[in-house]
Amino acid sequence: MNNEAIVSFKNVCMYFGGVKAIDDISFDVDEGQVFGIIGPNGAGKTTIFNVLSGIYKPTSGDIYFHNRRINNLPPNYITGNGITRTFQNIRLFENQTVLDNLKIAHYSHIHYGIMDVIFTSNRFKKEEERIEEESLAILDFMNLTAYAEQKAGALPYGAQRRIEIARALSCKPEVLLLDEPAAGMNPVEIDELNQLILKIRNQFNLTVLVVEHQMRLVMEICNEILVTNFGRKLAIGKPNDIKNNPEVLEAYLGKVKSNE
Amino acid sequence: MITKRKNHLLGDVIPVIIIAAILIVLKEFKLISTSRLLILQYIGLYSIFVLGINMVNGYLGIFSLAHAGFMASGAYAAAISSKYFFKESWMFPLILLFGGLIAMLIGLIMSIPSFKAKGDYLAIITLGFSLIVQSFLQNWRFVGASKGINNVAKFTNIYWVYGCLLFAIIIVRKFINSKYGRSLKAIREDQVASELVSVDVKRAKTIAFAVSAFLIGISGALLVHLLGYTSPSAYGYTNIVDGLVMVYLGGMGSITGSIVGATLWQILIQTLKNLGTWRWVVGGGLLCVIMIFLTNGIFGNKELSDAIHAIRKYFSRSKTNKTISEETTK
Repeated sequence: MNNEAIVSFKNVCMYFGGVKAIDDISFDVDEGQVFGIIGPNGAGKTTIFNVLSGIYKPTSGDIYFHNRRINNLPPNYITGNGITRTFQNIRLFENQTVLDNLKIAHYSHIHYGIMDVIFTSNRFKKEEERIEEESLAILDFMNLTAYAEQKAGALPYGAQRRIEIARALSCKPEVLLLDEPAAGMNPVEIDELNQLILKIRNQFNLTVLVVEHQMRLVMEICNEILVTNFGRKLAIGKPNDIKNNPEVLEAYLGKVKSNE
Repeated sequence: MITKRKNHLLGDVIPVIIIAAILIVLKEFKLISTSRLLILQYIGLYSIFVLGINMVNGYLGIFSLAHAGFMASGAYAAAISSKYFFKESWMFPLILLFGGLIAMLIGLIMSIPSFKAKGDYLAIITLGFSLIVQSFLQNWRFVGASKGINNVAKFTNIYWVYGCLLFAIIIVRKFINSKYGRSLKAIREDQVASELVSVDVKRAKTIAFAVSAFLIGISGALLVHLLGYTSPSAYGYTNIVDGLVMVYLGGMGSITGSIVGATLWQILIQTLKNLGTWRWVVGGGLLCVIMIFLTNGIFGNKELSDAIHAIRKYFSRSKTNKTISEETTK
């Protein structure tokens, strides 16, 4: 195991009955990287995220975060302690305002108890002020200030995607998991998203894991890429190596004849 | 930019003083009949009851039917305590607190099934709980079995009822505007997503059930000391349906709605008294009508302040429209 790694998977398997969603996958993610996970449909990419964020407990194998085993921790604990994710199909709290969406995500970093609430103590007021300021700062950073008081569900798709990232940032993560952030975007929007992801990483000192189909995104911003197919690890390496890896090409395009 | 709506001290305190003044005048100068006064007390008491139900059914969005059980436990605990321990009238706050705390304890236990079970299954579990409490009381000799407890001191008066209501409103409002309240609303919308933005779902549910049961317990305690007796038959299906009608009529997830729902329903029930038992048919019928035509209730997820805000906005807009149209005509 690589001790420098912020997240490492060690022989992780996740079976649903007879279906092997992830089968013996190991990899290390170094701090500060943008780490891509690609693969055809049903290759187990999202399951990797689900296992990492604690929704599923892996059938076997271990997951480490800062060299600490996190397999059996509840999702809210994992999220509160540094691994936060977004969803492939956007899952905002649609009837809440954008600002409240962010405030909800501050949960684990608000330090007051029930007694503070009942007596509206100074600590309660200070903390509420603090999270309001922090939420507004994040909204400002993501260019979402204009939407702050609007219901999240009523906003355009692109804004909702950004709000989801903003909400994830409100949990103060060290590792940000983006599940198909470019789904439904055109090339121009993807270029913007690329810049945004890099900007977020630099601003918040994050490690970013990204599951994506769009090669335009993956090849441009990822430092390292993991390719999966049918739940198994196919290849891992730098974008250029992946591009020329015959096995990857085969998985994506079909078998390449040797004389061509 | 963001317009901050501040909690005005004036906007909060003045209505309370006005209502208190009206109540004092009504009672002390005997401006209304005793039966009307009783209705007023029912309204206040059931407002607390509905606020309690709203914590779980409204804000947390769990369809729970446990309120009859909570009310029964609060009522019986309070009645027993006033019969055997707190016999003086100045001990009434202790009695109320005792009733509330016992109900809260049971509420804490009832929050456990909500961690795993969902939707219909949880509704059935909570219904089962309410019925267990009822049949338990029916068979427990110490509390008079099916005859119930009689000759309970009538400590409750209109001041106690509305004092408790004020307390309940303050408590609910504080919780709703804290991180716990926000997490309740988040869980209502998407439990998995809220877990994945670090919300402690179990804790939030526990708190919701505890506060809910506490308030319902207090309303039960008030009811016993208002009527002077209690029996298990009061905490059956009728009570469950009553609670649901009031919550859904007033609106889920709203403090104003809770009070409006309780007020309308109590007035309706009392005016239909001549119908005898047939008036309960109205309850079920009304529930059907609400579910079809008024799914959000009167104040669903809105508060009075929102309504006032909207009205003000409407008028200021029509004013600005006028000035614009005047300018253009010039």
